[in-house]
Amino acid sequence: MRTLPILAPGGARISLACNPQAMCHWPWRYPMDDPLSSPSIDLKGRRILAVDDDRINLRIIGGILRTEGYEIADAASGEQALEVYAAFRPNLVLLDVMMPGIDGFTTCRTLKKTYGDKCAPVIFVTAKSEADDIVMGFDAGGVDYLTKPFRPKEVVARIRTHLSNQQLVEQQKLLVEQLSKANAAKDRFLGMCAHDLRNPLSSIRGLAELMDENAIGSLTAEQKEVVQTIHSASQSMLQLVNELLDVATIESGHLKLDKEPTSVVEIVERSVYLSNIEAAKKSTRIELLKAASDPMVEIDRNKIRQVIDNLINNAVKYSPKGSVITVVIHSDDSVAGFAVRDNGPGIPESERHKLFKHYGRLSAQPTGGEKSIGLGLAICRKIVEAHNGTIGVENIEGRGCEFYVSLPILK
Amino acid sequence: MNFSGSVLLVDDEAHIRKFISLLLRHLGLTRIFEAPNGHAALELYKKERPDLVMLDVNMPLMDGIETLRSLKVIDPDCVVVMLTSLANRQTIDEAASLGAANYIRKDAPPEDIGRALSDTIDSCFEPDEPDAGGPGPSP
Repeated sequence: MRTLPILAPGGARISLACNPQAMCHWPWRYPMDDPLSSPSIDLKGRRILAVDDDRINLRIIGGILRTEGYEIADAASGEQALEVYAAFRPNLVLLDVMMPGIDGFTTCRTLKKTYGDKCAPVIFVTAKSEADDIVMGFDAGGVDYLTKPFRPKEVVARIRTHLSNQQLVEQQKLLVEQLSKANAAKDRFLGMCAHDLRNPLSSIRGLAELMDENAIGSLTAEQKEVVQTIHSASQSMLQLVNELLDVATIESGHLKLDKEPTSVVEIVERSVYLSNIEAAKKSTRIELLKAASDPMVEIDRNKIRQVIDNLINNAVKYSPKGSVITVVIHSDDSVAGFAVRDNGPGIPESERHKLFKHYGRLSAQPTGGEKSIGLGLAICRKIVEAHNGTIGVENIEGRGCEFYVSLPILK
Repeated sequence: MNFSGSVLLVDDEAHIRKFISLLLRHLGLTRIFEAPNGHAALELYKKERPDLVMLDVNMPLMDGIETLRSLKVIDPDCVVVMLTSLANRQTIDEAASLGAANYIRKDAPPEDIGRALSDTIDSCFEPDEPDAGGPGPSP
């Protein structure tokens, strides 16, 4: 181990413990002694096709470019350029405008048409620097132009710029490709992992519950307490695994809806009824306000039930013991849905946007302590949006907040 | 639930068999046969002719759908309840079309599993209508 002095912003000198073996992982393109310098891109060996009917020009340009380390091929006409392009597959084309046979603009258009997005950038070479000529060149698909006679430094600088751009785009494409592959692998892994954890977990939970019900004989008070702890721990772990699985399903684009015409009142009533059993443990009551109408929506019942349960559970979770949670059903000409009003601290204005998006960060850092915070709501949002609905939150003056869900009404 | 028949429980995972068999005993069902795979299930079915089969969908080698198909060949009247984990609509529909009486999610809490099971038994073993057809899918 040795220490590596680094000049921190503001000039303070700090030392980093540094393992020389780990140094090879350092992005070597960024010189260690100058962390602020831009990454230099190695362009040696890049292929350039120079097209000009004037042999002398080709020789001059070839000389300039070879000293820069590029690989050069040349062509004396547009027709020949198309042939050489196909075999040489250049990274950049220097294309004379005025040539016998097909001119530079036509050659460029043909190249663009043949190779589409994959076509190498074309720099026009023209004796005239007339504006019309330049505009026509850009119209034909050129990225830049050079005027004769050449100024070597200009030629080198422009070519380097375009090759660098092209290389960066290529790298970016490759990176995006790799990242989306990695992301898909992550989702597959997450899904597989969660899937295989569910069965054993539900067995543990079920067996603990059965033991608690004296299914294998009566338990002492202490045994009962232990069994109840196993039950609640496996319950919350199962909940987490289910949420992970939901995220994996949603992220991989496999969220499928089995839609059926459903009465909003009916589905909400059932959730309220079942949630009340759990809420009673916190002396909390969930009250469903009588609805003026019974709107119908076309939904995946299990998924929307999950949303209702999640909102009610959150309301119970963040409201003080002994609260009354109110659930209301709303509808108008186009949408219908429900809202859950809690007695919690409310959502600060500045954090409202985080609420339904938080999971992105959470899923990337699974070691975080906040295991289920936000994951549930992010899933809710995805489910509601998959139904072309909206989910949101409003603070209630002085007492908690209201989460609402609106779904397109079934006419 | 007024049922004292025998049950054949088929699941490749021992802990699931332990959990479901304990649940069945808790519900008063004492004649339980267990099979860890489809082949063993078919052999046991031929030998013991249980009144009810609880059959896991996801099993290696011979899955629940394949086993269900073979069971129905052996005995077209056998009452089969599918055990699923992640209910896949397509699989459930396929099982229903092959004559499964119902499906139960084994990751549901015991009381839900018990309720779904007694619903199925009540509708399949009514004294007057021994084969009233399966009820709708459990919630």
